[in-house]
Amino acid sequence: MENKKLCLALFSGSLDKLTAAGVILSGAAADDMDIDVYILLQAARAFKKEIASNKDEIKLSENSHLREEFIDSLKNLNVKEWQDFFKEVKEITNAKFHICGLAGKIWGGETLEDFIDISDDIVGISEYITAAEEADIHLFI
Amino acid sequence: MTQEELQALTVEKSVDARGTACPGPLLEAKKAIGTINSGDIMEILSADEGTKKDIPKWAGKKGHDYLGTVEESGFFKIYLKKG
Repeated sequence: MENKKLCLALFSGSLDKLTAAGVILSGAAADDMDIDVYILLQAARAFKKEIASNKDEIKLSENSHLREEFIDSLKNLNVKEWQDFFKEVKEITNAKFHICGLAGKIWGGETLEDFIDISDDIVGISEYITAAEEADIHLFI
Repeated sequence: MTQEELQALTVEKSVDARGTACPGPLLEAKKAIGTINSGDIMEILSADEGTKKDIPKWAGKKGHDYLGTVEESGFFKIYLKKG
């Protein structure tokens, strides 16, 4: 039987929403779903190597004053950091992370090497629309 | 199954996920069940309240039998039979 498909349009580059995406994708991975994640505007910035490696660059989407408390709670609960969630998802199931070509260029990312290693390719909008059409679950974060 | 029957099961694989919050126990269960054979029993130890509903739901979708949950002091054990 063919695996179900999840398509996620990941727009946000904020720590809380990237973490939420990691949790949701983990659930999909546990269900053996095929996953396509489209890395859009703010997320493409977070996926830039120099941004992803600098924790101070990734903010909270809400309640920004609680950032340190949020990070401490994740550590205390033994919850993975967002990049580790995504890596584990790729290990468990067929998951692809597609960088939006326009978004990449906006932040100075011209080639795949400009983005963190879990990135699979740089694509145009038609790829995303096709994946969204074919998906059993389609989410926007 | 009764609590006594669950406690008496011969467990092929025990997964201690007490140190993790959601989705940690689910992912630990997902990885571990791939290491046992159909018909084998696996137990998952967790202290994450949401896991009590999460893993039985997941097991049903994946064709595994949820046998029951045993409450312990500060944690619980979920028993699954691999489908």
